[in-house]
Amino acid sequence: MAAATTSLSASTSAEDALRAQTFQRLHPKAYLERFLEENIRPDGRELDEWRDVSVHMGSISTADGSALVRLGDTTVVCGVKAEITEPELDSPEEGFIVPNLDLPAICSPKFKPGPPTEEAQVMSDRLNDVLVTAGVVSPSSLCIQPGKAAWVLYIDATCINYDGNAFDATLLAMVAALRNTRLPRARFDEETGRTVCSRKVQEPLQIGRLPIAMTFGIFDGMHVLSDPTSFEEPLLDTVMSVTMDDDGGLVSVTQVGLGVIGKQDILPQCITAAKYRCSILAQQLHTSS
Amino acid sequence: MSTTTRSDGRTYDQLRDIMIVYEGLDGVDGSARFGFGQTQSLTSVSGPMEVRPNLEQPSQATLDISVRPLVGIAGTDSKALSTNLKAILAPALFLSHHPRTLIQIVGQALCGTESGSGLGSVGKGWNATLVASLINATSAALVNASSVPMKGVICAVSVGRFPSASAATLVLDPSEAELPHLVGGGCFAFLFSSALPLTPSSPDELPPCSLLWTNYTSSVVYDDTELRQAQALAEEGARKVWAAMKESVSNMERTAQCPAFNRFKSAKTESRVKKDTKNLSESEVDDDKMEI
Repeated sequence: MAAATTSLSASTSAEDALRAQTFQRLHPKAYLERFLEENIRPDGRELDEWRDVSVHMGSISTADGSALVRLGDTTVVCGVKAEITEPELDSPEEGFIVPNLDLPAICSPKFKPGPPTEEAQVMSDRLNDVLVTAGVVSPSSLCIQPGKAAWVLYIDATCINYDGNAFDATLLAMVAALRNTRLPRARFDEETGRTVCSRKVQEPLQIGRLPIAMTFGIFDGMHVLSDPTSFEEPLLDTVMSVTMDDDGGLVSVTQVGLGVIGKQDILPQCITAAKYRCSILAQQLHTSS
Repeated sequence: MSTTTRSDGRTYDQLRDIMIVYEGLDGVDGSARFGFGQTQSLTSVSGPMEVRPNLEQPSQATLDISVRPLVGIAGTDSKALSTNLKAILAPALFLSHHPRTLIQIVGQALCGTESGSGLGSVGKGWNATLVASLINATSAALVNASSVPMKGVICAVSVGRFPSASAATLVLDPSEAELPHLVGGGCFAFLFSSALPLTPSSPDELPPCSLLWTNYTSSVVYDDTELRQAQALAEEGARKVWAAMKESVSNMERTAQCPAFNRFKSAKTESRVKKDTKNLSESEVDDDKMEI
């Protein structure tokens, strides 16, 4: 800063950038407010613009199904491993899924090494809710022999770079990984009491609805931001998440915080925006491989 | 809406009997038990009080919320519920009035549905009605403690959706018996505050309310019309909850069961309490105090 005051020439762009970064660190809310006054966000997007999404399936050969999703800079890798287990006592003709999201220290300085943070646990719980309620994989299709053997799918997602909106990215990764999953054909042998899997024949999973999540945030009770980044997320008063299937039907709507701007309820507007976005994402999911 | 009555004889928009008891627990500043019929939760509130240095925040109070199910240890779903409860309470409390302090809230479910092994089970411990009763118990406990300034009172109800061929069949406050037949549902929490702008639909004697939290999910496809219907139905139910809470506050001192609580009351209220316990002799009341 001393160089800027002593030199008569205009300050260099590097010094401007440093000043802007310092301002962003010390006064994040004021920084975001200044941008929103000009109807733009710090990463250059419009208020209702979404980041680019890329989906790659089948990159992990050791997993039964896998997917890598990039939502802007947020990157999530998901793998599906199938194991054979005895079905639960109260539902003997059903297998089950165990989804889990891990937010390790590598993805962001917000997360420290150690047991799963609260954020990871909450998101894993929400993902479990959505995947099971939407019926992405029908539990009865995972049954091998009622009461004796069933498939359990461990769907493990790891975030390798966190730039906000991990929920949307992870749900997309899990759904893509399930679409990519191929299980060996299994047959229960009554005599030995064991399940025999074929080495050659592999069958894809019976996939039902494909839920896709879209998250919005309300900043300062005035602006609706879609797809918040990790800088914007802690500054939001309200977060709304709309999960829809690829036909445009709602699966789940969650709202945390007051959802009104002035006197107007924002949720219907978000659902309309989500419908439009969902059709684009669903197309991308179907065409990627 | 369907006009068929439900298995317990209620109409689609009828709540079960609301029960609010201010327990007067000893070691905490405020406590309350809230129940929709048999679905009950107990919450205790302590604070603002001393905070551990690693939780301390320089400009506002720290909310520490833990939630326990009736059976088993608190798992991921209880953890998620306490995070949601924190997000629900943060806009409703004036946390900046007591910086560098701790507000500790503990919620306990007093009834539970049968628990699965934890794998492949969704919401088996915490169904929407239990979540609603927990949120209401927390609001009542905060009012009972009267130590944390509040912007308003949060009232929550649950809405369930039965399968039907044509339009959605929405019901308010599904009971335990109805839960296995639902294909969807969720809890809606509303903030009742005079600081909110008035809407044309709000009745005069109640403060305006606004939706604060919802987790409406359905395994059958639904559209935003159904969501709006569910929200409107829940808003009516939440108004009834608010009215029940308001009435219970005027009875708060009389429903306090702990004798030690009575010990610190003024003479005027002590005489009122003694009148209520007219069947107990003076020595019996003293014995209760001794036990504590």
